[in-house]
Amino acid sequence: MGEGGLTSLTAVAAPPAPPSTVVRRRRRRRPVLPRLAHFASFGAPGVLVYLCFVMAPILISFGYSLTNYNPFHPPVKFVGFDNYRLLFTDSQFLTALQVTTILTLIVVIVPNVLGLGVALLLDRKGWLYNALRSVFFTPVILSSVVVSIVWSRLLDDRGPLNSLLRDLGVSHPPGWLSDPDVALYSVASIVCWQMLGFCVVVYLAGLQGVPPELLEAAEIDGAGPLRRFRAVTWPLLAPSLTINTVVLLISAFKTYDYVKVITNGGPGSGATATIAFDVLQTGFDSNHVGYASAMAVLMLVIVALVTTVVLNFLRRREVDL
Amino acid sequence: MTRFSVRPAVALLVGAVFFVPLYLVLANVFKRGELIAKEPASLPLPPTLANIHAVLTRPDGLFWVSLTNSIVVTVLSILVLTVLSAMLGHYLARSGKRWTKVLTLVLLAGLMIPPQVILIPITDVLRVTHLMATLQGLILFNVGYYVPFGVFVFTGFIRGVPVELEEAALLDGASRMQVFWRVVFPLLRPATASVLIFLGVWIWNDFIDPLIILGPSQGTTITTGIYRSIGQYQADLGSVFALMFLATLPVLIFYLALQKQFVKGLTGGATKG
Repeated sequence: MGEGGLTSLTAVAAPPAPPSTVVRRRRRRRPVLPRLAHFASFGAPGVLVYLCFVMAPILISFGYSLTNYNPFHPPVKFVGFDNYRLLFTDSQFLTALQVTTILTLIVVIVPNVLGLGVALLLDRKGWLYNALRSVFFTPVILSSVVVSIVWSRLLDDRGPLNSLLRDLGVSHPPGWLSDPDVALYSVASIVCWQMLGFCVVVYLAGLQGVPPELLEAAEIDGAGPLRRFRAVTWPLLAPSLTINTVVLLISAFKTYDYVKVITNGGPGSGATATIAFDVLQTGFDSNHVGYASAMAVLMLVIVALVTTVVLNFLRRREVDL
Repeated sequence: MTRFSVRPAVALLVGAVFFVPLYLVLANVFKRGELIAKEPASLPLPPTLANIHAVLTRPDGLFWVSLTNSIVVTVLSILVLTVLSAMLGHYLARSGKRWTKVLTLVLLAGLMIPPQVILIPITDVLRVTHLMATLQGLILFNVGYYVPFGVFVFTGFIRGVPVELEEAALLDGASRMQVFWRVVFPLLRPATASVLIFLGVWIWNDFIDPLIILGPSQGTTITTGIYRSIGQYQADLGSVFALMFLATLPVLIFYLALQKQFVKGLTGGATKG
């Protein structure tokens, strides 16, 4: 899956600011040169690779997006913001935007809800629950290519699921991956299946942080199980919700592997083509590098905006408790 | 009273439904090819190792070549990433300069950049530097792309190491490098484990970056190898399942061996939040 990149976010979020006197004392003691040397030897190598392989390409991408660059059709012409303007009237891009939005909504909500349910179910000691935790977590460590292949076999028109349905008397089982109205939901379900274990583990860790005294006190005060969950457990799970939501959000936006392997964007005209898929298709298969870059830059802006807004909203909820 | 007997039953049922796709892979790895299409859900009786044997002895050596490439890329990437991000983490944690805050933010942004945004220009950058379609190019890209994750794990841990420890060693005449590698780094073992585990799994499983950077014909990692083999050998399902199984085995063993650290690393953020 490769997208748990934000798990450590909260751990690092708020370093305690050192008292100013300490800072001043340290500053006076250390001359300028060793500081520079510190950066040159410790900081520079990492920063350099990051700048060369992440930051510079983003700037180049933005540069490309202002041109009609196509390696097979020189010369390159500066076109200003034409590519961006064109995007908003391009029905293929608008479809991709819609596909990405639906996919993201499903992938953020479903594993979160089901993950919480499964975590509550498994929040017990014993070998059975330990074994089941591993069962739910295993898909998280599988390559999305493997997951995609397994599921496309399972959901094939003549695959095991449909033959089971036929045996049960369904004469026309759905074309899970071949019907344009259904395929997107099938792909979304597959992503949910793989991400579920991640949410389960994060919620289980959160549940371990709920002090039993609080739950007992609430029980003595006469709160039933539902009330205890709503008033005690759920608020204390706020950090787990934040992590799960942000990780799911970012990985849903980037969805490419599943689409490429399972449906290759189809069926029909882009029923499952996400923006992430469209960018590479336009850039590498159709060679419209300028246009694809505009799409990529717009995608980056959307991801950054949505993530920041959601993160702020969820963080505020944590602070309010 | 009923709640106590219902819970394990429900848990088992939910787990079983969830497990079906995994069962499908396991069962079909050990089943003869023609049976896979006919009865994919049946038990592999009698079990056969023919599929695994076929993958291991393919004349084009796809499995061994892909395995070697995946091991080289994954091991070199995570080693370089650990060294670079631990040191950069040290700089960010110990330097009081205002611009380190800016640098931290710039790196934080890296955690949410979709690879699609950089993949198009990166192929040009790699082509100019003659690194396109090489393992070195892929490794360098991995290092740049994942360095933010490593830095954030390490920075948090280094802040927890008392600075007096370093100052004492410096007074004793050790250089900064010696202090870091001999005094600080050994204390960062949990962070190092997290970084190695996560990045190892991600880079091993990665699909899109090797697909684009190694190019259409220049060589495969284990994931792109699987992807190509389903296109070419659609009929030979036994081999595809065996290849998937063999490709997953290292990660699975890695996970089972380090399960405790794995979950701790994953949830460290959740519980500290």
